[in-house]
Amino acid sequence: MRIILTAQLCFLLLLACVWEGLLLLGVDQSILPPIGKVMSFVGKFVSDPDFLMNLGVTALEIAVAFAVSIPIAIGTGLVIGESTRLAKSVNPIIYLVLALPQSVFLPIFILVFGIGFFEKVVFGITHAYFVIVINTFAAVRSVPNAYVVAARSFGATQIQIYLRIYLPAMLPLVMTGLRLGMIFCIIGVLLTEMYASRFGIGHLIFGWGEAYQVPQLIAGVVIVSVLTILVNEGMRLLEVRAAGRYGATRR
Amino acid sequence: MGMSIIDVRNVVKSFTAGDRSITAIDNISLSVDTGKFATVVGPSGCGKSTLLMMIAGLIKPTSGEVTVNGEMLTDPRPDLIGMVFQDATLLPWKTALANVEFPLQLGGINLEKRLHRARELLGLVGLESFAGHFPHELSGGMRQRVGIARGLAHDPTILLMDEPFSALDEQNRTKMGQELLRIWDLTRKTVLFITHSLTEAVYLSDVVFVMSASPGRIIETIEVDIPRPRSIDVIDTAEFGRIRNRIWHLISAAEP
Repeated sequence: MRIILTAQLCFLLLLACVWEGLLLLGVDQSILPPIGKVMSFVGKFVSDPDFLMNLGVTALEIAVAFAVSIPIAIGTGLVIGESTRLAKSVNPIIYLVLALPQSVFLPIFILVFGIGFFEKVVFGITHAYFVIVINTFAAVRSVPNAYVVAARSFGATQIQIYLRIYLPAMLPLVMTGLRLGMIFCIIGVLLTEMYASRFGIGHLIFGWGEAYQVPQLIAGVVIVSVLTILVNEGMRLLEVRAAGRYGATRR
Repeated sequence: MGMSIIDVRNVVKSFTAGDRSITAIDNISLSVDTGKFATVVGPSGCGKSTLLMMIAGLIKPTSGEVTVNGEMLTDPRPDLIGMVFQDATLLPWKTALANVEFPLQLGGINLEKRLHRARELLGLVGLESFAGHFPHELSGGMRQRVGIARGLAHDPTILLMDEPFSALDEQNRTKMGQELLRIWDLTRKTVLFITHSLTEAVYLSDVVFVMSASPGRIIETIEVDIPRPRSIDVIDTAEFGRIRNRIWHLISAAEP
């Protein structure tokens, strides 16, 4: 854990050195502003009500999209995981859809749902949905049949088998699916914000790019990156915990 | 002859694979008397596990009937039958104590009672000091002792054991055999034990059902009259060798 953290800090330090090195070599400051200038914008943004409002809009869209995705995606995964026949017909479709670059469908989404909160949430859901489904499906299939047979022989009802065998045995893989789903969800929402939106952090970042306001642009990217990394690491911590408690290492 | 508690009469079990029908068990009849230690021995794939699952009420025979304690079982009956599985099949996220407690939890027994019972059973198998250990922290033999304790959780009349020691090395296997006889002596359950080890079958049993493969049939029933308690040295006696060789010849002769 400490080694990983050290390596990550070293990488950031290296990045900063290359950045400042390029400036010393004479790279145009309007393309690559000094770190200090970017950081001063970061500082300014985190106390700017307008920026925070936009960040809040994005966070809300992601939260709603993710919260809606969880039950419908896990539900789908459970249903097709339980039925071999259904899995045979549905899985190829899911893999097909998963192979498509969803971003090309964005204009169609906008035509159907219009521009706004709802459209962004829907795009977030379609991004999160499939990856959670395939992980839940894999999780159902990973539960050893021997556990189910044993539980049945001890008199377990079907509900007890779901709650006491399937749920804990599936948890590690489902957590992986949820973490990936969250990342996909963030991608989906930010993408649609950048493409067509009146609010949101993606909208701001795209605007700064259009207006050639490079320090603001990079400051926005830094803030989004830090927040995304924090969310991902937080969920990974839960995932590692679930794997430690319920995962294959215990077998 | 005492009273029989397990009765299998003319049982056939066939499975369909694609458009073919495979007969796993072809007309088996057997009965086990109360309090006896019986073993089914046979080559792998002879359907001995399938037979056990049918006695446990986990799967239904295609034809014929199974009665346990005079009842035809349509569902598992943990109060009547305890099961011990290959490789123990403990739940990896539960401690040894919680694993033993698990069947009682499923049965809705209150926490205090089931903890008391689980501790008592871990004591019986000599693992009271390992109550808080997870399965991966235990040796193969210890895991299987937890498995036996779990099988006894509801204090069933019958213990069905499906090749419980097959994953263990020879040394531990022999030790577990002795341990099982010690526990059996204390609890006096009716045991139906499945194995492919001839030595294990003869050492443990009062009666051995010898099976042949494809389709699975019982080709001979052998009474083992070696007096108990049996020390490990009985394996070297002429009587023991004679019985084991007889089983070996029966199985060899039945091979295609």
